Amino acid sequence: MQALIEARGLHLHYGRKKALDDLSFAVQPGRVVGLLGHNGAGKTTLMKALVGLHAAEGTLSVLGRNPCRDRVALLEHLAYIPDVAVLPRWARVSQLVTLMAGLHPKFSADRARALIRRTSVGLDDTVKHLSKGMVVQVHLALVAAIDARLMILDEPTLGLDVLSRKAFYEMLVDEWCDGERSVVISTHQVEEIENLLSDVLMLNEGRLVLSLSLEDIDRRFVALGHDPAAADAIAAAHPLLRYRVQGGSAALFDGAPPPEVAALGRRLRPSLVDLFVALTRRPEINRTQGL
Amino acid sequence: MQPWHQHLPIYQQLADQLAARLLDGELCEGAQMPSVRTLASCYLLNPLTVSRALQALDEDGLLENRRGLGLYVRPGARERLRQAARARFLAGEWPALRARLLRLGITEHDLDWKP
Repeated sequence: MQALIEARGLHLHYGRKKALDDLSFAVQPGRVVGLLGHNGAGKTTLMKALVGLHAAEGTLSVLGRNPCRDRVALLEHLAYIPDVAVLPRWARVSQLVTLMAGLHPKFSADRARALIRRTSVGLDDTVKHLSKGMVVQVHLALVAAIDARLMILDEPTLGLDVLSRKAFYEMLVDEWCDGERSVVISTHQVEEIENLLSDVLMLNEGRLVLSLSLEDIDRRFVALGHDPAAADAIAAAHPLLRYRVQGGSAALFDGAPPPEVAALGRRLRPSLVDLFVALTRRPEINRTQGL
Repeated sequence: MQPWHQHLPIYQQLADQLAARLLDGELCEGAQMPSVRTLASCYLLNPLTVSRALQALDEDGLLENRRGLGLYVRPGARERLRQAARARFLAGEWPALRARLLRLGITEHDLDWKP
């Protein structure tokens, strides 16, 4: 199976500031990849590099193409919603469908209309009368109606209320995830999206601190819930992070802790948020090796 | 949006929930299971997680794969689940419950228990 995205040794500078620092990763078909990082970590920069809006040093292949050189050909098979995406306020939804049909060779107007019918938005509605959540749903419907193999979404749920976010996630899973197409999605709503993801890319200050499937995360990282009495013994085993959970304390380990330590607590499912906090707080000890 | 707890892998929790729906008769024997995509968007889970849950149910002998048609609830699945749940209750929960009833001096009569 050929990877949809392959990046090796990606670098990008804004003046003297390193925006992307030696990133290497791959995205396979049929994956839902969460791109996580604090503000300014390089998420948007990386996404722009993936769609050819930024030229990065290193090797980057997206759908087998160089995004900067083959941008037009690439965009036929790639759907992208940037974080600053807006739809023209004066337009009717039906006009946007017509517009897209004229602009994009792989766009299906029938499919777009079918997707929009799933939402509470009408085809005759004007964009300026739609709520923010509705606009994002229209946007997703328009982009998901492109017969593409890869979708890149930069913080699509920013500023949406919880019901709109839920509707967005439902549409994403229902209409996009067919086992072949992949999506890269950046977000700060880590807890909400965690269970939708198959893989995680974690950026911290331009560096990739984690690039792993959720399955491997469950295998590699061990969280132990424990009584306060065991806190000292657990701390002595150098966990990545100690945190509070419902009904006590927990500690997160990279790899299995020694059996005598493991016996002090009970194993919990490590949450992505805790892992994120642990890895972005002390990045120097946590570089993931290789791909 | 987060009905999942931290003590078991999500796929296991989903398998347990689907098993409970089966036991309640909400998913009928001989009926087709909802598709991976339907379940994924309904529970807001990655399709791979859903596939793993269905695989776990299949391995427990609760589903059957009809080639080209998808997964169906195997006849006898409910009885199988009930037996497993009974065994778990009798071995896991009953001894403690029984000890408690004895300690409190609660008799059949107090429980108003008519099997």
